[in-house]
Amino acid sequence: MANHLRFIGRTVMVQNGNVDAAYGALSRILSQDGIIESVKRRRYYEKPCRKRQRLAYEACRRVYNTEMARKISFLSRKSRTDPWLGC
Amino acid sequence: MQAVLTVARGVWGCRRPGLLGARRARGELRALLTSSLPHPSRSSRSAGLGRGVHAGVRRLQELAEKGAESLSGTELSPLILQRNSMRWDGKTYEEIPIAHIKATYNNTHIQVVSFDNRPFARTSCGTEGFQNAKKATAIAAQTAGIAAAAKARGKGVLHVRVMVKGLGPGRKAAIKGLTMGGLEVISITDNTPVPHNGCRPRKARRM
Repeated sequence: MANHLRFIGRTVMVQNGNVDAAYGALSRILSQDGIIESVKRRRYYEKPCRKRQRLAYEACRRVYNTEMARKISFLSRKSRTDPWLGC
Repeated sequence: MQAVLTVARGVWGCRRPGLLGARRARGELRALLTSSLPHPSRSSRSAGLGRGVHAGVRRLQELAEKGAESLSGTELSPLILQRNSMRWDGKTYEEIPIAHIKATYNNTHIQVVSFDNRPFARTSCGTEGFQNAKKATAIAAQTAGIAAAAKARGKGVLHVRVMVKGLGPGRKAAIKGLTMGGLEVISITDNTPVPHNGCRPRKARRM
């Protein structure tokens, strides 16, 4: 960060003196960009074998979760108007 | 669907995820999930994958486009672009003192400095009388924040922009302490050092 312009990246301005909301916004942005989890991961060294296992696990998990979410949203399309109303 | 969920929970329940064998697992998952799905579409599958990468890029694009649009308080762009025209006690944003907060896992240091690096106040959990494990608490960080704010107020500092470094227990509490001590925080920056694979950290614990 010292090589980039200070106070532009990873900066949140405090609005109306609401410091807690600003801090919450900053944490949300950092976690969405994956900075917090990468800092936590770099606290201890992760050997290449463990890193490969973790990446494979996360890829599988991602595929599974997206497919399952798709399936559930397809199967739960129940809020349609009743086509047989009146029968 | 229930059967699929229980099978999957058993699959992910193992503590060593790498034992699964990625390629075989992916094939099994696809077989499980696409057995009853119609028209597999490319767009929905890649949407979830690319989200984390493109979030940062999209934010930069918003910075360029939406200059004067009044968005919600969580959007950075309009306030940062208006920052040049805002004044705090007649000072521009670049002239306001900075409060550096270094939040390690064992301690929290706070130093208030002017914009041209003249020091105003320096406190830490240790200087506030806490010792050993008690320094690594949020309460200690809050007391250090209050003390630093008091010292800085004594030297005439009213507004401060905060730069936080590190993920420790005192990260949020120190900012709260600065506010409780009477300084007005106008912006929070995160300056946590993230190496692009530089130094090798220490080995993992409990081998």
